[in-house]
Amino acid sequence: MDPSGSAILGDLLEDFYALANREGSAEARGWYWRQATALIASALYQRVQSRITGAVPKTSEVGTMIEAITPRGLIQDAAYAFNAVRKDLGLVVFATLIIGIGVGATTAVFSVMSPLLVKPLPFEDESRLVWIANDGDGGRSAVTSRSSNLRDFRKLATSFEGLTGYDAFFEQRSYTLLGDGAPERLAGVGVAHNFLDVLGIEPFKGRSFTEQEGALWNHSTIILSHALWRQRFAADENIVGQSITLNGAPSTVIGVLPSSFDFSSTFTPNSRVDLLTTFPINDDSDQWGNTLAMIGRLAPDATVANAQAELETVIENLEQAEPDRWGLGAVVTPIRQQISGSHRQALLLLFGASAAVMLIVCVNLSSLLLSKGLNRRKEMFLRSALGAPRGRLLRQMLIESLLLASAGALVGVGLATFITRSIASSTAITIPLLSGARVDGQALLFTCLVALVSGLAVGMLPAFQASMAGGSTALRGAGRTSSTGKRSRWLRETLVITEVALACALLVVGGLLLQSFTKVLDVDLGFEPSETAAWLISTDRNFDDDQARINFYQEIQETVSAVPGVTAVAMTDAIPLGINRQWGIGVPGRIYDDGETPSFYPHIVDRNYLETMGIPILSGRNFSTADLLDTQRVTIINESAAKELFPGESAVGQALNTGDEVRIIGVVADVRHVGAEKESGKELYLPISQSGNFNTLDLVVRSDLPLEAIQGPVAAAIRSIDPNMPTNDVRALDAVVGRSTSPRRFTLWLLAAFAATALLLAALGIYGVLSYTVSERTHEIGIRMALGESNSSIRRRVLGRTLLLAGAGVAASAALSFGVSKVIGSLLFGIDAQDPATFGAVAVLLLTVAALAGLVPAWRASKTSASIALRGS
Amino acid sequence: MLKIGEFELLVLLSILRQSKQPYANKVREDLEENANRTVTRGALYRTLDRLEKKGLVSWELEASQIPERGGHPTRRLKITQTGLAAAQQQQSILLRFFDGLDSVAGSDR
Repeated sequence: MDPSGSAILGDLLEDFYALANREGSAEARGWYWRQATALIASALYQRVQSRITGAVPKTSEVGTMIEAITPRGLIQDAAYAFNAVRKDLGLVVFATLIIGIGVGATTAVFSVMSPLLVKPLPFEDESRLVWIANDGDGGRSAVTSRSSNLRDFRKLATSFEGLTGYDAFFEQRSYTLLGDGAPERLAGVGVAHNFLDVLGIEPFKGRSFTEQEGALWNHSTIILSHALWRQRFAADENIVGQSITLNGAPSTVIGVLPSSFDFSSTFTPNSRVDLLTTFPINDDSDQWGNTLAMIGRLAPDATVANAQAELETVIENLEQAEPDRWGLGAVVTPIRQQISGSHRQALLLLFGASAAVMLIVCVNLSSLLLSKGLNRRKEMFLRSALGAPRGRLLRQMLIESLLLASAGALVGVGLATFITRSIASSTAITIPLLSGARVDGQALLFTCLVALVSGLAVGMLPAFQASMAGGSTALRGAGRTSSTGKRSRWLRETLVITEVALACALLVVGGLLLQSFTKVLDVDLGFEPSETAAWLISTDRNFDDDQARINFYQEIQETVSAVPGVTAVAMTDAIPLGINRQWGIGVPGRIYDDGETPSFYPHIVDRNYLETMGIPILSGRNFSTADLLDTQRVTIINESAAKELFPGESAVGQALNTGDEVRIIGVVADVRHVGAEKESGKELYLPISQSGNFNTLDLVVRSDLPLEAIQGPVAAAIRSIDPNMPTNDVRALDAVVGRSTSPRRFTLWLLAAFAATALLLAALGIYGVLSYTVSERTHEIGIRMALGESNSSIRRRVLGRTLLLAGAGVAASAALSFGVSKVIGSLLFGIDAQDPATFGAVAVLLLTVAALAGLVPAWRASKTSASIALRGS
Repeated sequence: MLKIGEFELLVLLSILRQSKQPYANKVREDLEENANRTVTRGALYRTLDRLEKKGLVSWELEASQIPERGGHPTRRLKITQTGLAAAQQQQSILLRFFDGLDSVAGSDR
């Protein structure tokens, strides 16, 4: 401790004991701390004042004065840190910003993935909830079950406390709400009566379905979603018990779902769900085939494996009892796995990427502070000579970096809140539970942890280095050619190499994802989505017969065709990229083994559909006005089906068995109806004019005008035929395609942002280290120039160093990148995870950026004047 | 001529008054008791620093015999020649200005 500081402390102690003798020790203690505080304030005041007046403060005196009176020294360290940090405003702003970016990225990704991967699902005791899929492979029909499966599993399987299910094809049903204003189409999902009970969801208002209500299939009782209750019914407190008109019949609202459980966000992020109604588990619904998505609650002592084994035995017994029974199968998985599904990997990848960005931020700052640390070595040495123990100096350096990290964390939380909000409110991204993502307490805790860890990580190296301040070298000046100088340069260069390696790995992953995405966009969907919109229409009318129903829709089609600006109108019961269903259809005369019947994706369409959607006819003819209910049943199949079922011969003229025998009249190109990334499989088109088998229809309208311009006139045209028909459910097909690729785009955008940040930070890191090295070696460069080395040779030397560092980083990342790209294999499409071109391009990009970053320091080095450099010493 | 503030003058004079024990604590006690003012430690130390910078006061550290100080040394304060001259100069200025003002200044008589 500095002697005059010691004297001040002595004065204080002397007075303290005098006072303690007079007034008692408690009084004296209070006095002591008042005095101490006043002294610190006074010292700080003096410092600020001397700064304002421009006088040079006697740092050591003020410092020791504070040191003298705060035995634990923490306040003092903080004051020191504050001052040290404040002295270099540029550094503070830079550090705060990049920590902010790192913290913002990690916190945002954490918040987004939290509902799906971290937080409890909106169910009670979710660990006991399981998803019971059918054992098929293919569309939704292959993983759903018949009602009889649920009925028999309930009866025979003891591993379950409860079994329930919902109608997986609910999008095909439609509920038209009549009331004030325009008729509105609501989306409702039919559920088994015990659905909420098995999931452990308590209705927000009212109650769940009873067994008697559950046996009906007439939506006479409904439970509203929380959102619908708030928006359509203005959060009416007395809604329970009220009757509303759905599809022309009264429905009683028996409950409202809690806001924590959003059915569509949880199970079907692609669709909207406004209400729950009942789906009967009986022989009638069993006739509809595989319709149920089944969910079970395990008994307290059962495991997923037990349940799986038991269901297999149950199925075996059922099959023996009824050899004709079809569609029996069960694959039990934990419900979280089912809900998070393929998104789990993408989110974990993003989390990894954001962590890598954070790591780069830390490395960058660490190397920056390391350079600063060298400058501060003299200060550190002085303080240690004045009696500050090494631990104390260490602590002060750490407090400095923690201060920086905290400031950064504040910026980061703001950034994360913004990002998370925009992601959660987006309707264009179909990732489950995304709407519930927010920066909450848990996320803030996570942020604090990140800030703490990064603060310590950033401060550790520079702190050790500075506190080790080697006595004499420190006082002589920045150890130019001393061994400490070399060691610290080595340390900083290693950090830069690490940074480059991490950035390289991120860029490689980003590059692979980008190429996958463009390849997905390049996929020929088989139809032309631009300038096309689809209106989902349905009616609650009762028709005398199928012909009347067909005529009714025909009339709508014709009326809408007459709307100015509309170039084509067609009808289909399912637009592409919507629901995924399969029908088993054989060729008459061929015999199929169990489960070998070819499965087709069926489309029911009118004769304008193929042309309106831009699907080319490859051979044969289109449907015509002559294909009627009482003429030969006809069908059109796609190319894949034709090749598979009738290899080497013409499919046109052949027959298929859809229940009726239908004649193939044409072959059309394949359409990717499940998703851009999935092959078409076999498709089958049936004419509406020969079908009564549809509930809702999509009116596909093509127009050169923007959707907003024709939306009103088309809706008016539809209502001119049927005033009660809802017209609110309209989607541009471009948007439908966009939504189907949205998880991929979401991953790509975030990852691209991370990779770009990483690249920028790595460039800054290289720049920083080289600038420092150049300024540190001015003397050496001066000598070299005095000895006759040319400017260009100096430039080459610095640039060479740059490329060496970047090259080492790229090389180091090769292993890392290959490892990472292996993990993300399933996120890729149409590109090899170890694509050498991508890696090569990234390497070239990094080396170029590194060279650019090295240019300024190289130029500065070459401008060093020999005489100035030498004089400077 | 050196500028010197009122409090600086009081501190200078007080140091002179403590000829036997010219220590900061004694100076502070003296000022509090006899000059009727509250003297904060910070203000006193800052003033001492300032006086030292102006070359009016100097000090040397001496080991203290007082056990309460816990072994911390104490500053023996000393007025330099310049300091003495400055005090004398201030005295003559003040005397000159009070001269002939007895009736006004002596209102308590």
